[in-house]
Amino acid sequence: MNTINLDNTLPQVFLQRTDIESDIWRKQVTFERGKTYLVEAQSGTGKSSLCSFIIGYRHDYDGSILFDSQLSRSLNAKEWTMLRQRHISLLFQELRLFPELTAMENVEIKNCLTGFKTKQEIERWFEALGIADKMQSPVRLMSFGQQQRVAMIRALVQPFDFLLADEPISHLDEVNSRTMADMMAEEARRQGAGIIITSIGKHMELPYDKILKL
Amino acid sequence: MRLVWKLLRRHISLPQLAGFFFANLLGMTIVLLSLQFYRDVKPVFSEEDGFIRPDYLILSKRISALSSIGLGSVSTFSEKEMDELSAQPFAKRVGAFTASQYKVSCSMGINGVAQFGTEMFFESVPDAFVDVDLQKWHFSEEDGVVPIILPKTYLAIYNFGFAQSQNLPKLSEGIVGMVEMTISMRGNGLSEYIKGRVIGFSTRLNTILVPESFIRWSNARYAPDADTEPSRIILEVSNPADDAIVNYINAKGYEMEDDKLDAGRMTFFLRLVSGIVMLVGLFISLLSFYILMLSIYLLVEKNTEKMRTLLLIGYSPASVALPYQLLTIGMNALVLLLAIGGLCAVRSIYMGQLLSVFPQMSGGNILPALMLGIVLFALVSLANAYVIRNRINKIWNNKD
Repeated sequence: MNTINLDNTLPQVFLQRTDIESDIWRKQVTFERGKTYLVEAQSGTGKSSLCSFIIGYRHDYDGSILFDSQLSRSLNAKEWTMLRQRHISLLFQELRLFPELTAMENVEIKNCLTGFKTKQEIERWFEALGIADKMQSPVRLMSFGQQQRVAMIRALVQPFDFLLADEPISHLDEVNSRTMADMMAEEARRQGAGIIITSIGKHMELPYDKILKL
Repeated sequence: MRLVWKLLRRHISLPQLAGFFFANLLGMTIVLLSLQFYRDVKPVFSEEDGFIRPDYLILSKRISALSSIGLGSVSTFSEKEMDELSAQPFAKRVGAFTASQYKVSCSMGINGVAQFGTEMFFESVPDAFVDVDLQKWHFSEEDGVVPIILPKTYLAIYNFGFAQSQNLPKLSEGIVGMVEMTISMRGNGLSEYIKGRVIGFSTRLNTILVPESFIRWSNARYAPDADTEPSRIILEVSNPADDAIVNYINAKGYEMEDDKLDAGRMTFFLRLVSGIVMLVGLFISLLSFYILMLSIYLLVEKNTEKMRTLLLIGYSPASVALPYQLLTIGMNALVLLLAIGGLCAVRSIYMGQLLSVFPQMSGGNILPALMLGIVLFALVSLANAYVIRNRINKIWNNKD
């Protein structure tokens, strides 16, 4: 997949609103593979909705979203599954980790589906992000910032054309967000993938090709 | 898969599953057992008579108090009566029972030692009415062996009345066939012996049947002057249910030997009772299925968010449904195996009892019950799998 196109897309909850000033809603937007985008947003402007629309979790929008030239609405369950396994990785704002599994198991549950990274590679990421000692701890006992890093690793153990990160560093300090930005950029570069990051303030320092206001 | 199972097994309620398991086991066992019991017992009631076809009727005259002391109407059929009967539209063929007119006694022995003996008689019907291989149903003076068909009740009388009280072994039909009978015939100044062999048992004939050729030969030899008017006749009809037959028989004061009726009634009740028991079993199975479905619904309800996350990180609906599907199918399979085990255990108990009452009983095949079990298993498992998948699809579509 080389592009994600938003064609006149608008969340249905905004249909009544006439005062929308956005670089994305009701516009023609193309996200290209290999490029890095920052989507800046205020609260309540539909940032997480955008991620949900792209990943196919929600479909309550007007207009269309196209992967290359294929309408996302036309995908069936099998195609969505393949898309989520191979083409688009999403780092959820609410993380969506499994509290009863350990940090390592939360990553493995994804990696055993894709078989994309070795155990050693995963362990290296844990070390780089300073949570190597938490690998075997249940995720529910970790702080939100630590959980954000686990979710990041989970988002990276799959092949992707686009990496969507919904507020990835909201609870991280400078050092860790720097490390995470480097990891993401490196993995995206290796895969030739595009990165779309959303933020409501603090954002990762990356060489953005384009900054869009939602 | 291990991790997915670790996630999804949370909130599994063991008491609920155990409830389902035992209820389903009970239901399944009852269903299989009712079918098996029906099939095992049915042959006892509805045994087809191999020698006399069902569209043959046996007629006799009613014996009244007067006729038994030699007054009143005669109890034999005259030539004229036979002709009249043959002329009826429902009658296809009419044959007479011919009785032996001399003294007969018979002793049975094993290895030449006489075990018991009795006075008796012979009768024959025209060979065409006896449905048996003519090679076996044949007498010639040179062979010196008479084939005999006995009423099945004789065997029952021996097995349950005689053998039981005298500590003698119970006999099956096959064994009786191997026992040689010595028949002694006296009359016309002669006293001679001949060998007899039981070739079968009939549920429909209340007589000791021998080939027509033997009766003809022996009556001519030992009672040449005797009158041989038949007291019973055998009638082949085109349609046994024809009302005209009953009307004619009643008008003439004849009697029809109708031993089929009781067996038919018993079979009907057997079927009714088995059917009711099976319905109860099915009902229990249905309830257990309902318990399982409720349990699964609750389980899916409690694990909905986890399942949604699995779907969002790239698990297919099929792979998310699989653990619960395997769980239910595994339980159903275990239930099936245990039910079959239970069936075999219970069957061996009741078959032991039945065999002591009906030694010649062979019992039904266990295969139909197995097939029914497998069909039930497949149906229930498919329904389970479908419902679970349906729930997952609802989560996929955010419609839960």
